[in-house]
Amino acid sequence: MTYIMCLLLFGLVVGVVAVASNPSPYFAALGLVVVAGLGCGVLVWHGGHYLSLILFLIYLGGMLVVFAYSAALAAEPYPEGWGSGEVVAYIFVYLVGVVAVSGLFWGGWYETSWVPVDELGEMSVLRGDSGGVALMYGGGGGMLVVGAWVLLLTLFVVLELTRGLSRGSLRAV
Amino acid sequence: MTPVHYAFSSAFVLGLTGLAFHRTHLLSALLCLEGMMLSLFIALSLWTLQLNSTNFSTAPMLLLAFSACEASAGLALLVATSRTHGSDRLQSLNLLQC
Repeated sequence: MTYIMCLLLFGLVVGVVAVASNPSPYFAALGLVVVAGLGCGVLVWHGGHYLSLILFLIYLGGMLVVFAYSAALAAEPYPEGWGSGEVVAYIFVYLVGVVAVSGLFWGGWYETSWVPVDELGEMSVLRGDSGGVALMYGGGGGMLVVGAWVLLLTLFVVLELTRGLSRGSLRAV
Repeated sequence: MTPVHYAFSSAFVLGLTGLAFHRTHLLSALLCLEGMMLSLFIALSLWTLQLNSTNFSTAPMLLLAFSACEASAGLALLVATSRTHGSDRLQSLNLLQC
């Protein structure tokens, strides 16, 4: 179990390095998909199945899909992947930086410090995180209303940003 | 600092440096911002799961809702930039008249 957690965490950091090295946005969106998938794996192995599903469906299936097709706005004839000049330099610097800073913390990492310590009394459908999220509809109802209000406000913000009334007629993107 | 803690902390810092040292495209800066939000979601969820504070599970959900707002505002800016300047390249975002 330690090995799987090790693989997931390494993959997560390498994926974020692939995004942060700023290749052409097509590849960066792919790297972000990998990071989100592996992050879901990390959450599942810690016992948070509901939060992992939320991340997968809403974040990967909702937001990242929008970023993936918005990458068409960044079209260029020769997209720079992870093998071309400047991006390789960034990848090298980031990986060396991550490994070097982790050298400060290696001393306290044993085999069991990669995995959570969990108590499982019995198998059940309702785990801790799904029970906790139900509080959002109970005592946390005020925050739910605030969240809905913020989302409605964002809709109007987006409509206002893309209106372009004084800058000319509505242009096709 | 446990390895898990170090993993998402370094993911956040890497996203931040990717955002600071963005190169040509506005969209790659927005993607680095999304990477930071993802690392924050994982951080809050792991707080809930590792410390058995199940009441805190609402925090990652609300973070995801507000991060969706921020992503949509960023993409609206990207679309507006692409409409007025023709592309999202940051070189074209200058007010220099000469």
